[in-house]
Amino acid sequence: MIAPDWFREDRLPHIYCTGCGNGTVINCTLGAVEEMGWKREETVFVSGIGCSSRAPGYILTDSLHTTHGRALAFATGVKMARPDLNVVVFTGDGDLAAIGGNHFIHACRRNVDMTVVCMNNHIYGMTGGQGSPTTPPGAISTTTPYGASEPAFDLAELAVAAGANYVARWTSYHVKELTKAVAAGMQTPGLAFIEVRTQCPTNYGRHNKLRRVSDMIEHLRSHAMLVEKRDRLVQEGKPVPDDIFTVGELVRRNRPAMGVKS
Amino acid sequence: MKLVIDESRCKGCNLCVLVCPYGIFQEGTELNSRGIVAPVLDRPERCTNCRLQALYGRMLCGICHMICPDQAIAWIDEKPLEPHKVEVEF
Ligand SMILES: Cc1ncc(C[n+]2csc(CCOP(=O)(O)OP(=O)(O)O)c2C)c(N)n1
Ligand code: SF4
Ligand code: SF4
Repeated sequence: MIAPDWFREDRLPHIYCTGCGNGTVINCTLGAVEEMGWKREETVFVSGIGCSSRAPGYILTDSLHTTHGRALAFATGVKMARPDLNVVVFTGDGDLAAIGGNHFIHACRRNVDMTVVCMNNHIYGMTGGQGSPTTPPGAISTTTPYGASEPAFDLAELAVAAGANYVARWTSYHVKELTKAVAAGMQTPGLAFIEVRTQCPTNYGRHNKLRRVSDMIEHLRSHAMLVEKRDRLVQEGKPVPDDIFTVGELVRRNRPAMGVKS
Repeated sequence: MKLVIDESRCKGCNLCVLVCPYGIFQEGTELNSRGIVAPVLDRPERCTNCRLQALYGRMLCGICHMICPDQAIAWIDEKPLEPHKVEVEF
């Protein structure tokens, strides 16, 4: 296992379903933490409610498992009181973009110095697969039985527009790239937002003809397009398929940030 | 070093089967004591990590171990003089 010093091994195996991508995201985040050389007593993990938000419970540091959608509000509080701590937030698409949407844009606007890892599985996993603000148009969920009819949020673009200093997107298949992106985010002062498209075979795959874990991974892999490639297609005036999502580093900049360790 | 799957953690998702460039993991066929079909290892000594991890002093490749959502893949030290099946390729 990765980062054995950081896992609460007595809590494993975790509650996630077979093939759930959340476990992979924990691996990659802890891999990045190890790379950073952070100390356990100087690191805090914060989360809201959801399958993804259970992640801090498996990590051997102090953590805050807060109310639904409020992880970023609590994390901002931690950072304001103790700027010397390293703060990492685990959140889900429902937690971050539905009930917590306002906290999300304002944390990005304030550019609070922390790393936010969003496990975007396109639905509410924990409560049985209801549609979320990131459910792709046409996708079946328990609240969109005829296919989602609303356009979805692009979380990474939203973070760029709202002002985060570092924004990247990968999938739970791109483990090496994801680990590097999380580490780069941790190094950047200000808010680092890393969106991870993850597979939820139980509540997303099952309803969308992607029942097998390998089908879900193949779906993620084949719909991911590097930002550079997308930009090249746009430049050359070639059509960009509309079912793809971009992966890679979307922004790294130096806006004024709050709560940076002095 | 020896590649092992911790069957007390593996949930049988077979993601390792999907990612290993050497095809070391094969989908299993038998239920284990936890009622899970864990993958089986096909000549794991071919893995770069089994051969070279100690020499290089760091993790090589390691894709299976990163993607494994259940933290079930590890390399452990071999006991001295553990028997090996040696395959000679011509
Ligand atoms: C205030 C409040 N409203 C609703 C809920 C019910 N609830 C629990 S988890 C969840 C959705 C979580 O979805 P997401 O953040 O996408 O996480 P996932 O489980 O998909 O990882 C909801 C609506 C709650 N716990 N608290
Ligand atoms: S319901 Fe989905 S997100 Fe939740 S543990 Fe299962 S696979 Fe993972
Ligand atoms: S480390 Fe790489 S080569 Fe070795 S078993 Fe894992 S995926 Fe295969």
